[in-house]
Amino acid sequence: MAGRPIYDSEGFRNVVEDGKTTGFQFRFKLQYYRGITLSIIRDIKVNIDGEDIPREDVLLTVNGETFTLEECRTVISPLYRWEFGEYATVTVRKEGGLSAGVHHLNVLQHIAPSYMPFPIKAVCEADFEIA
Amino acid sequence: MSADIKRSVSLYSYQDSYYEGKLDLEGCLAETSKTGATGVELLAEEMIKQFPNPILTEEFQEQWKGWLAKYNLTPTCYDAFLENRIFDNRTLSLGEQIEMMCRDLRMASILGFSCIRTLVSTPIEVIEGSLEYAEQVGVKIGLEVHAPFSLNSTWAQGYMDKLDKPGSKYKYFGWIPDLGIFCKRVPDVLREKCRQAGAKEECIKVVDDAFEERVAKGFVKIEYSQDLGQANMNYRNANGQAVLLDKLKDMGAGPADIEYLMSSYTYSWSDPQDLIDNIDRIVHTHAKFYNMHEDFTETAVAIPEVVEAYKKAGYTGYLSSEYEGGEHLRAFQEVPDVHQVALHQEALRRAIEG
Repeated sequence: MAGRPIYDSEGFRNVVEDGKTTGFQFRFKLQYYRGITLSIIRDIKVNIDGEDIPREDVLLTVNGETFTLEECRTVISPLYRWEFGEYATVTVRKEGGLSAGVHHLNVLQHIAPSYMPFPIKAVCEADFEIA
Repeated sequence: MSADIKRSVSLYSYQDSYYEGKLDLEGCLAETSKTGATGVELLAEEMIKQFPNPILTEEFQEQWKGWLAKYNLTPTCYDAFLENRIFDNRTLSLGEQIEMMCRDLRMASILGFSCIRTLVSTPIEVIEGSLEYAEQVGVKIGLEVHAPFSLNSTWAQGYMDKLDKPGSKYKYFGWIPDLGIFCKRVPDVLREKCRQAGAKEECIKVVDDAFEERVAKGFVKIEYSQDLGQANMNYRNANGQAVLLDKLKDMGAGPADIEYLMSSYTYSWSDPQDLIDNIDRIVHTHAKFYNMHEDFTETAVAIPEVVEAYKKAGYTGYLSSEYEGGEHLRAFQEVPDVHQVALHQEALRRAIEG
């Protein structure tokens, strides 16, 4: 039997802006049991096919608004919580995006709920295909 | 002897069904009602989107009241999360933390709850500074007593020294025992997960035997400290963790064996007499459970003995089912949370009415 899904299987795609492929996107759910303010996200570490993506090239979109990880540090509005059970969209800036074919994604969700002596670090893996 | 103990369900229990979109908030209330429970415990930050904004709208308030009427449920406890490190560069000031606690008291009051759950990391000063408002809105502040913490300990005494005072507002502080402090065994779902990950039978036996021995001898209780991480480490080693770790390493233990050992220390056993001794301060109860069997027995928590103690003490509050076995299952299979809660409620009913 399969475990609880983390990624939106329909959410893997290249990002094309003005005819140029500038990166790729995926959508995934928070591995926790309540929604959080983006300010307690310590990191979203993206590794694609073995390549680490620099932190500044990772953006997070919730409720239609996009933030860099650096900006997330101050986001506490109820409008932009990462709600429990809802997908957040991650955009990765990467010139040329991903080639057609199968890819392996490894993402670390690193959050720090205040009451916990240690942060939560959830490894989220997926294999997917870019058409 | 029949007792006035009431039953509730914490919506924490349905987190996997909610996560997968099988149940929404109303669906969770409907399932709660089907179990025969008359109370519901809410984690607003789990199931109310754009928290806390909707709670302040008449539309949501009406909907909530409508659901409670439709499903015959009484709000029991509102689980608050004092996000006092909401920014990564500082801890909120005492004033800011009290403001946050009072916000939650207000939300709880609007939704009809009579108590909030606050976590063990809550500074005493924040509780004390919020009691006047708690009294004003008629909502008690319950400090969760979650393993490895325990009642009748220097940790609990640390709170009582500051909060067990004359004055009506001090009646608004109390305890919320989590029944994970009454585990007679390590949950089978954890054991099975570690076994699947390669834990060896002889290592599992060493860990299980040591747990049984701690239950028989009595756990060394955690000491009061502002540094919870350090207090926890001291507690673990006072209960033999370091010695066992060496022993397992000598046996050639792998990562799954070590995980089983370390995880076994997140469960503990207290004498149910602790409940009787503290009954005047118990405002609510998290009836934690890990894996109900079809014969209505729970893998770890001593339900009959605990309920017996509550009866003896004349408890008239709620036992609120809190299912936590899913964390050992969800990576591999669907989590049967709805069924688990139904089994647990029936076990509670039998223990209460039996």
